[in-house]
Amino acid sequence: MTERVALNVNGRDYSVEVEPEEFLVDVLRDRLGLTGTKKGCGTGDCGACTVLLGGRAVNSCLVLALSAVGRPVLTIEGVASDGPPHPLQRSFLAHGAVQCGYCTPGLIMMALELLNDCPNPSEEEVRAGIAGNLCRCTGYQKIVEAILAAACEMREPAHG
Amino acid sequence: MGEYTAIGRSIPRLDGLAKVTGQAIYATDLAQPGMLFGKILYGDRPHARIVKLETSRALALPGVEAVVTAADAPARRYGNYIQDQTVFATDRVLHVGQSVAAVAAISERIAEQALALIEVAYEDLPAIFDAEAALRPGAPLLHPELESYTAIFPAVKKGNLCSYTRLSQGDVEEGFRQADHIFEETYRVAAAHQAYLEPHACLAGFDHNGKLTVWTSTQQLSTTHVELAAALEIPMTHVRVVPVWLGGGFGGKLKTLLEPICALLAKAARRPVKMTLTRREEFCGAHPRAPYILRLKTGVLSDGTLIAHHVSALADAGAFADHVPGTACHVTALAQGPYRIPNCLAEARVVYTNNGSFGCMRGYGITELTFANESHMDVIAHALGMDPARFRLQNLVAEGDEIVTTQRLRSVHARECLQAALAQSGYWEKKGQLGPGRGIGIAALMHDTGLLGSSATVRVNPDATVAIQIATSDIGTGSYTAICQIAAEVLQVPIEQVEMPTPDSETSPYDFGSIDSRTIYDIGNAVRLAAEDVCDQAARVAAATLDCPEAEIIHKDGLYFPRAHLEQALDMAALAAIAVYVRQGPLLGRGSWVALPPFEKPVGVGFSAGPCGTFLFGAHVAEVAVDRDTGRVQVLGMTAVHDAGKVLNPVGIQGQVEGGVGQGIGAALYEKLVIREGRVVNDSFADYRLPTALDVPPIRTGFVEIPDPTGPFGAKGIGEPPLLPPPAAIANAIFDAVGVRVTEMPITLEVLLDKMEGTSG
Repeated sequence: MTERVALNVNGRDYSVEVEPEEFLVDVLRDRLGLTGTKKGCGTGDCGACTVLLGGRAVNSCLVLALSAVGRPVLTIEGVASDGPPHPLQRSFLAHGAVQCGYCTPGLIMMALELLNDCPNPSEEEVRAGIAGNLCRCTGYQKIVEAILAAACEMREPAHG
Repeated sequence: MGEYTAIGRSIPRLDGLAKVTGQAIYATDLAQPGMLFGKILYGDRPHARIVKLETSRALALPGVEAVVTAADAPARRYGNYIQDQTVFATDRVLHVGQSVAAVAAISERIAEQALALIEVAYEDLPAIFDAEAALRPGAPLLHPELESYTAIFPAVKKGNLCSYTRLSQGDVEEGFRQADHIFEETYRVAAAHQAYLEPHACLAGFDHNGKLTVWTSTQQLSTTHVELAAALEIPMTHVRVVPVWLGGGFGGKLKTLLEPICALLAKAARRPVKMTLTRREEFCGAHPRAPYILRLKTGVLSDGTLIAHHVSALADAGAFADHVPGTACHVTALAQGPYRIPNCLAEARVVYTNNGSFGCMRGYGITELTFANESHMDVIAHALGMDPARFRLQNLVAEGDEIVTTQRLRSVHARECLQAALAQSGYWEKKGQLGPGRGIGIAALMHDTGLLGSSATVRVNPDATVAIQIATSDIGTGSYTAICQIAAEVLQVPIEQVEMPTPDSETSPYDFGSIDSRTIYDIGNAVRLAAEDVCDQAARVAAATLDCPEAEIIHKDGLYFPRAHLEQALDMAALAAIAVYVRQGPLLGRGSWVALPPFEKPVGVGFSAGPCGTFLFGAHVAEVAVDRDTGRVQVLGMTAVHDAGKVLNPVGIQGQVEGGVGQGIGAALYEKLVIREGRVVNDSFADYRLPTALDVPPIRTGFVEIPDPTGPFGAKGIGEPPLLPPPAAIANAIFDAVGVRVTEMPITLEVLLDKMEGTSG
């Protein structure tokens, strides 16, 4: 029943066997060994498995792997794969936005989309943007601060 | 300022880079050659006799490598407080979600298909779902052999009662006679799930010598090691437990859960087996927080002085005792909260029912107690016409007061916390001025820290790098970073030189684990002692090398030198090398710690608490807006002030408090496991609501930073305290906003609407 398909993940092309009913999160984790994407619920309610698919944030536990064919996938491993950490990663670290770390990859992917769409968000926009990502450790405050600070840093190069 | 080099600084967490880049490995991320996947068949009856259990069709399914049941497990009962459980249901299932059988297969999907091929037939038995009814004569018994079970404490157990605790001081009846007013109320707290984001996961395998290794998400490596060996009836030397990074625990990952089953599957299949719970299985088959009923009776004089307090708690353990007797013991020990009450009686009963299998959550009973006590204090203040803040200030405990356990309180800063919280929140300016539908409420807390034993080793390598070995992993709290800060401070070496290898039961010295807010206080003290031992050894090596009396050696900024001869100084690298090659042998420090010896004679009746290392105080102020039409409560602001002793890592401790307050908002307003006839109804994050970034307001944190005389560098344990006050602070703010008192936790929309309809026109 498996089918060999081409997936583009973090800028690399993979040829991988998938089953028609297999979800993207399981293919990323179990077949490609990209375990940075976490699975917290499997029902699209917690956001831990958030990746970017064709540039949009999706719950990879709700997306069939087959539907990712032809659209680039970006996971936490690809955010700064060949360089220093991304400003969002640095900011999460510096602001204490990480505790157990299980929600962290999904939140960084969600924040990446948020800041792509809205480079200068208000605190309210950040809170609304990450409302689908559950964090049980932090009370969200330091995550919000980290995203706002990263937004500031990411805007600066554009201002010269 | 300037006094310390490593502690007191917001050092970014040392495990942070691995976590923001997706490199941190959790149990479910692990894989091994030949690894199989395990799934559990859960019983779906609250109480039934198993009349048929046939696994041959499941075993015949291609891809299935093992099926195990009670027949494959030792018959011996085990458990952390009362040895009342077995790995699988034997002749009866006692709750929906009890493990009946398990399968290992080459994929999760095949394992699930195999579960459907296991034939089970039940004969239903009368079940009991009401904790109070379970205590009545004639109630169906869950454990007819209860009185023969082994308990680790002098248990009072009979019928469905698995633990009773009674502590008292003064004469509560005399106190009630003297009181001008008596207030009685019953508070009910629902079952709730700890809802860590990482579901339980475990990988188990046997090596060629028959030694079992288990990589698992556990808060308590050492106790998991003990319990797993007991459950499987194999010596601890044949069991190795390795905790990997934990995606949160909050009390839900203390006891063994998957480990014995995973090990039995691996043994039967002769291949490594990995198990990961689904979220639904987490809700139905793990050990969520037990429901509590707390009856309070309090006597007070007309001038507002508390004079008598009776707490009678009833906890529903579900089918097995698990940690619930411990939480009940904790509730009795801290029954009076942070108040001086001369006559106090604290009683707690723990009862078996067929409602599930419950355990504990961050707070270990004290979230429930604090909701009841702090709601009650508000009720009394309002009835007396006193401001709730003034009423509390009048009655707070002070240094040297004795509590019901007979321990005298020390390091008491309850008053400073409450006054700071009132000032920082603008309580006095806001009180009565917030407008319709808005309110402000207070709750105070007392918690203990320092419990049972910890040990650590600190070794210095020839290049002066330092390895700390302890048996407890960082479950997300930041303990790894703070522990390294403690060692770096004692040794006076840069923190970059300090490393804490992954704990491992084969190499890590024993520790009681990340429980009861004890990690920084107890393990921190063990690490401090071990590092001081290294310093003593380094000083001896320096004295011998420099041919100078040991008493003359000064240790400053990581250098060891004879008094007034800085030019002869030897640094840690030099001393480590000298020690390794020519003197005394390698620098290896050891620290073993237990806060206090037990009381000279047992206090109270049943499972009663021992002394704890020190106490922690705090006060929270909540501001809310209540929508009278929908019952929706929005928390507008929270102020949380704690007396955590010396702050080791400011950004870390703020995160602990903010996270605790966030959980407290969930506990106050949303989090309730709805259980009907023993079945969990809301078994997903869609139906079990957790606070999101839109529900948690900005949180003001404050610290009364007075070093504790017994904590490492004066630190106390902050893990649980921030979760304790928000439910009552929010309940009190709701009362301030709309004049309605809710005595149930959580205060859901439905409950609040119902209450408001009953009171307003």
